[in-house]
This record gives sequence, C-alpha cells and structure tokens, in this order.
Amino acid sequence: ARGGVGAKVVIQKHRHEGVFIAKGKEDSLVTLNGVPGESVYGEKRIAVDNPETGEKKEYRVWNPFRSKLAAAIIGGVENTWMKAGSRVLYLGAASGTTVSHVSDIVGPTGAVYAVEFSHRSGRDLLNVAKKRPNIVPIIEDARHPHKYRMLVPMVDTIFADVAQPDQARIVSINAQHYLKNGGHFVISIKANCIDSTAPADLVFAQEVKKLQADGFKPAEQITLEPYERDHAVVVGAYRVASKKKATA
Amino acid sequence: MVDVVLYESATGYALFDVAAGEDVGATLDSMQESIQSLAAFGKVVSLRAFLPFKSSEDALENANAVSEGVLHAELKEFLESNVDKGQVLGVSEDKLASAVAEACGLQCNKTRAVLELHRGIRQHFSRFIKELKEGDLDKAQLGLGHSYSRSKVKFNVNRADNMII
Repeated sequence: ARGGVGAKVVIQKHRHEGVFIAKGKEDSLVTLNGVPGESVYGEKRIAVDNPETGEKKEYRVWNPFRSKLAAAIIGGVENTWMKAGSRVLYLGAASGTTVSHVSDIVGPTGAVYAVEFSHRSGRDLLNVAKKRPNIVPIIEDARHPHKYRMLVPMVDTIFADVAQPDQARIVSINAQHYLKNGGHFVISIKANCIDSTAPADLVFAQEVKKLQADGFKPAEQITLEPYERDHAVVVGAYRVASKKKATA
Repeated sequence: MVDVVLYESATGYALFDVAAGEDVGATLDSMQESIQSLAAFGKVVSLRAFLPFKSSEDALENANAVSEGVLHAELKEFLESNVDKGQVLGVSEDKLASAVAEACGLQCNKTRAVLELHRGIRQHFSRFIKELKEGDLDKAQLGLGHSYSRSKVKFNVNRADNMII
C-alpha cells in the first residue's frame, strides 16, 4: 500500500481540528500521520509535498466503515471535543485502529488513555501504543475504573464504544473518576447491544435519559447511517457549572 | 468525616490532610468550584507525606496490588508511619479499605466525598509534589500503562481471550 503515487491529491482542513480531507479522485477523510512511513492496520497513506516549504507530510486514510468516530465526523457531528493537546479516555479501544487516529488528532502534546479488556485485541493495541508515545495502553475492565486509577489523570473527553448493555453505567462511573468538570463525552450506542427487541430510537432515548440522570448534558445525537445500522453517537458535557459557564 | 486521604499515583503513594470542618458534601457547587482552582483546593487538602516508587518494577508491583485491592507491604509501612491511630483515612476503593482497616487498625472511609476529593487531587496532583517536574507524572503513567498491560496480556498467555460475560 504505497500512498502518494498519484500526487494529485490536495489536502484541506476539516471543520474539526486535526482532521483533514484528501481531495483526489475521491474525497477521503484523513489524519496527519504521527508516525510517518507506517500504517497501523493496512490503511492507505497519502504523502503530500508543500511546494512553498518543500516540506513533506503524510496522512492516513480514515475509513468511516471501520470507525464510528470517522462515521460521526462524516455524518456531520458538531463537535468531537478532541484537538491538539486534548486528553482523551478511550473506552473500548479494541485493536487500536480508531485510537491511532485519535492519537494523530491530539498530537504529541495530548494523550489517549486506551482501555480494552480483551487480551486478543489488547496485544494489537499494545503494539500500536509502542510506536505512539501519546497512547497509554490499559488492558483492564472498563467496568472497574478504580483498577486503573494509577494510570489515568483527569481528562478533557471520554470516548466510549464498548457495546455493552450497561454502557451508560460504565461511562458514568468512569466520568465520576476521570472526567473533569465541564469535560465532554462522545458515546457510540449500538441499539442491538442494549435491547435487541425495542426500536432503536426508543433505546437511544432511554440511554440518553440514563446519562442525564448521572450529570451528563447531551447536546447532540446523530445516527451513523449509511455506515452503521441502528447506531447513534451522542455528544455532550459533564457536570456543567450551574450559573456561569465553565472556562474551556 | 475524613482526616487523611490516601492517593495512589503512578509515581508513588501520597497522603493528604483534609482541612477540619470541611464538609466535603459530594457534588455541591461550592465544592465543585473549589476543585477547579488549585488556590481554593489547596485550602481543602494539603500534602502530608509522599512515598515515591523506587523503580519501575516497584511501581508495577504496587500497581498490581492496588488494582486488586491488596495492601502492599510498602503501603502498609507508609500508612503506619504517617497516619495516627484514631484518624479516619479516606480510601477510594472497598477492598483496599478493608485490607487497610484489618492490617493497620485504621478506620477507613470510602464515601462519595472521598471520590470527590480524589477528583481534585487527580487534577492538581503534580503541583502538590515538589519532587515532580512537569511531565514526570505523564511519563510515569505511560511507562506503568505499558508494563501493567503487558503483564496482564502475558499473564493469560494460555487463554485465547477473556470473554466478557
């Protein structure tokens, strides 16, 4: 998979900081590769020369069919609350494919605390983290956040893709420990994983209600069609100061 | 009420004095605001003692114990020499709290208030500890994250996977 052969690609900034659009024959979502020369999971790389500075930059293609965060961005989510310097607690890191793009977005001054319980995926995650010093790998059960309390600071954002029936509770107890006041959450909800008999819309509404009860203020909700079926991403704030707005 | 709070960090164990009369009543707005600024939170808690880990192996050994709610010998000694009998110790997790209560004869408190105090300490920790330079804690967490996770994966080398039930 050699990227940049065509060289007719133009990179544009996306509305979200740290995310870009590669305009070529087809447009694709990309992030600036934090480890130039390396693909993480066989994704395409695109090298671009800056004619003014002679600087070479390399971007990695981010496939919305493989990443719910990418799907949410293409789907027009207002804010992902991840940018250069952000600290992100990532629950359900799996093999680290999306984590690697978040690692690109937050850059060397940010950090991703990537929690994954499955040892099989965890091995891949560890390998991704080896090459990317802004990823702290945590092979542990996200249901028990106290188990990794020595590894995680207060974070700006929690991203959750754990696909568990008690997902809302998992996010809530992690936020209690690690999400700063006025911090934000981005949760991917798969209706099937929570209740396979109820209509998806109803499941989403119930999950939002649970989050509200625990100090979360959902601000937006989008579905991930056409990339995922019966999936929603909910984004919002945590423990927002009641009167004056918390400083960002 | 809590007199002293135990905080476990990647760099070592720390004990914080809690200002007397501080009603750490959970998520009240005033408490929330005081956690935000170090100046205000510094009036709620102050550092009593800090025990840095001697090496990364030492840190991993202690992290494994903390994660399982086991009282490590180093922590036991640290508590015995720094917490007076009769003082109430805030511990963030049940199993460790009962282990401490049993082994050191200390009264442990594990309430919502301790969790709130921990949020504040977690936010400002490296500024309480003079020995820590900017970035030291991040580096310690990164190193410990790798060694902790590697040991987890290695530990279960014969099992194909840990299924989530």
